[in-house]
Amino acid sequence: MKKSNIVLLVLIAVTIAVIISMVGDFSTYETFASAARQPGKDFHVIGMLDKTRSLVYDPVKDPNYFSFYVKDKAGELEKVVYRGAIPTDFEKSDKIVLVGKMDGQQFECSSILMKCPSKYKANRKAESQQLDSKL
Amino acid sequence: METKYIGEHLLPGELGHFFVLLAFVASIVSTVSYFLATRSRDAINGSSWKKMARVAFFIQVISVFAVFGTLYYIISNHFFEYHYAWEHSSRALPVRYLLACFWEGQEGSFLLWTVWHCVLGTILIRTAGEWENPVMTVISFAQVCLASMLLGIYFFGYKAGSSPFTLLRNDMAGAPIFSDPAYLQKYIQDGNGLNPLLQNYWMVIHPPILFLGFASTIVPFSFAFAGLWKKNFTGWVKPALPWCLFSGMVLATGVMMGAAWAYESLNFGGYWAWDPVENSSMVPWLCIIAGIHTAVIFKHTGHSLKACFFFFITAFILVLYSTFLTRSGILGTTSVHAFTDLGMSGQLLIYLFVFLIPAYTLLIAYQRQIPTVKKEEALDSREFWMFIGSLVLIISAIFILVITSIPVWNKILGSHFAEPVHRRFAYNRIEVFIAIILALGIAMVQYLKFGSTPGGYFRKNILLPTAVSLVIGLLILLFGKIHYDTFGNGFLAALIVMMFASVYAIVANFSYILFMIKGKMRSAGPSVAHAGFGLMLLGILISSSRKEVISHDPMGLLTGVFPADSKENSRNNILLYRNLPMQMADYEVTYLGDSISTPDGKHYYKIHYIRRDTATGKVIEKFNLYPNAFINPKGQQGLISSPASKHYWTHDIYTYLTSVNDPSKIQDTSQYYPHLVKVGDTIFFSNGYMRLDGLDTHPVSPHYQAQPGDIAVGAKLTVYSSDSDIFKVLPIYVLRDSAYENIIPDTLSQLGLFIRFDKILPEQRKIELSIRQSGEQNDWVVLKAYVFHYISLLWLGTILMIIGFAMSIYKKIVPRKQNPVKPIL
Repeated sequence: MKKSNIVLLVLIAVTIAVIISMVGDFSTYETFASAARQPGKDFHVIGMLDKTRSLVYDPVKDPNYFSFYVKDKAGELEKVVYRGAIPTDFEKSDKIVLVGKMDGQQFECSSILMKCPSKYKANRKAESQQLDSKL
Repeated sequence: METKYIGEHLLPGELGHFFVLLAFVASIVSTVSYFLATRSRDAINGSSWKKMARVAFFIQVISVFAVFGTLYYIISNHFFEYHYAWEHSSRALPVRYLLACFWEGQEGSFLLWTVWHCVLGTILIRTAGEWENPVMTVISFAQVCLASMLLGIYFFGYKAGSSPFTLLRNDMAGAPIFSDPAYLQKYIQDGNGLNPLLQNYWMVIHPPILFLGFASTIVPFSFAFAGLWKKNFTGWVKPALPWCLFSGMVLATGVMMGAAWAYESLNFGGYWAWDPVENSSMVPWLCIIAGIHTAVIFKHTGHSLKACFFFFITAFILVLYSTFLTRSGILGTTSVHAFTDLGMSGQLLIYLFVFLIPAYTLLIAYQRQIPTVKKEEALDSREFWMFIGSLVLIISAIFILVITSIPVWNKILGSHFAEPVHRRFAYNRIEVFIAIILALGIAMVQYLKFGSTPGGYFRKNILLPTAVSLVIGLLILLFGKIHYDTFGNGFLAALIVMMFASVYAIVANFSYILFMIKGKMRSAGPSVAHAGFGLMLLGILISSSRKEVISHDPMGLLTGVFPADSKENSRNNILLYRNLPMQMADYEVTYLGDSISTPDGKHYYKIHYIRRDTATGKVIEKFNLYPNAFINPKGQQGLISSPASKHYWTHDIYTYLTSVNDPSKIQDTSQYYPHLVKVGDTIFFSNGYMRLDGLDTHPVSPHYQAQPGDIAVGAKLTVYSSDSDIFKVLPIYVLRDSAYENIIPDTLSQLGLFIRFDKILPEQRKIELSIRQSGEQNDWVVLKAYVFHYISLLWLGTILMIIGFAMSIYKKIVPRKQNPVKPIL
């Protein structure tokens, strides 16, 4: 067999092995309940920000404590604590993705992913609301 | 009854729409004509189709530029009756950012792409020679597709594309303001404006370069496709190579500009986050580079032709796939650049397949006819190892693509995978090995020869660079402080190997230029580019592994949940009260105050850094950084902040604000305190003192308009701050018409001082002044600061790599000066 073909096969095998091992690392989108069943393990949780509850960020007291409430896919409401500063435009987001673990009665999150004010906002609803408000 | 609207400028929009249609139709004609010209057996027939195709293409080029010009006209004249102008621009926008709002929308960026195709196509018509017909068929067809993205016309109930010339009132039909014929004057006086994060020069220059990079990948694709189509499987490589190099060069520039933008202006905390949008623009580049290397192998040895076809075809397909990923909204939960679905994802998929299917079909159908060299590559040949290198590039591309496409897998398989929890590490731990292999290859393979390498040749020539690299690597190991064991010692070991490998790549390439090609710069392009890439790897390695947070919150150690050295420690924000210095690593940092809102709406915060010699306490250096922020943009709560960095050759200090005290929320509870003073007296306040120098019976002040009958006295005060700044203030007391007291205070915002001249007490020869100092406790910022060590290497390496590309292109297109033939006498 041609040398280069052998090399090709070996490299393909390596790639597949690496990808399979990666898949093991893929996280899944969880709910607070399922994250609670494995406390101490990090998960992704998608939820909606509960804007009826207060967002607590008082940098004078502690610039690295930010807490808010999130309702996950299953409808459960949990307090989330993030040990950092409040991210930009946080109040504007509704759907957010949290990475973290359940710790007792709250979710300790290590990173928050929100939609950034998108370059390609096609937010027709918001725009028409804006227009309506001009009257 | 149709409402007749007042003050609308409908002609530009109608013109624009007409030209889009003309571009669409002309590119169809051009495609068909070039197609027939390619297939024609008869020279005269062929050349007449070609003429028609060229005419059609030029009409298309003119139309596209007309569309561009019309849209520019609409935006710059603030015709907010047009949805695009309203959505992306505003009256207050500085002219230099006008192009930025052009690219902000989907339609604008498609337009940019199509403009670049016009430029590339025009050059190809002049230079492609016998390859013009098939290559231009492909490019014209791409123009058809792109023009269709701008049509906004309904075909059988399906909307094709999205036009930038739609009127606001048509898109938002039903909003009550449009029942008023004068809506434009009454309600839509200004546009929505450009997103504040995009109001900088990067947004003006990065998209055009990046889109030129994307657009340029169609040229290698077209040549490869043309080769298959005309069954001339070998002749296309030589004319295509300069274009392939061009594509590699520009795409690399575009991607790295994005990295520089992220580093300089956005606060993702660095230059690369393995974000899906970043990844999907890098993957086609890896493919182009693989293609370039296999093309070079083919040129010299005849090997690797099939791979070459595959790589160039795939690179363009990957660009289409990347477009689909970013614009379809499918990346909603994985990317910070989460774009919402414009409803064009179906169309984008169609284009992906309409290029993919014919290209791969032809490749598979003709693969046996593609010439290969019977004799295998020797193990000691350059081409064997270059081919391995190309494969490694592709493996890296596959790997990145698979993870980035998780949302696509989820959609196809119905699964609910999320990305690995520690995204950066997940990519880095594999990419570090890719980097090691590539760097070693870049260093060593050029010391092999094509075909086979005579014994001893390799060993003899590589000895010196290897030795030098080992020495330099050892020095870096000992003094470079690479201790990144956050993810274990195995990863740290890999990083150290990568460090040696990248040093090797740099040294070996410079050595090659000096000793192997004896400094002949004309042939030095590849070595310069490779050395640049090695430098980039070294810069990435050092700056990312040694990225330090220096803004640790001193309180965190006491009350934090995580210990200070935990990799989960995000207590990386520090609160700075105005004028209260805090220690941050080697620096004493003080927040000095903010600027009054500048015309572009940004607040600049003055942060003062002092570095003292720990032994003597003497000041070694001091400087100010000015991170800035938009506070409550457009009336919405929050902060959009941009970092400010101090650049040294050996490291960068990178700071940005994560929170400020909202000035609208400050309730000032400070009070006025009265002081009875005579001329020459001193009044002390928290951070300085002021002295009453005298009284001025004809005070002049911008706040005071003297009127006849006024008796005015000003108190001349000199204020000395503890920072050794000196200011002069002049509060004024006015007696108007002998009855009314008018008090005109003076302020010193830098120190938060308000001074009033309340009374004159002539019998005591004293005056009463009231002084108020607004609480510094109300003025604070929260800051995050990183140190990026040796990040300058990354930028230098990028520039070097681009220069290398340019040198290689130059060599290909500028023929060597022939020695003049001496006349025989």
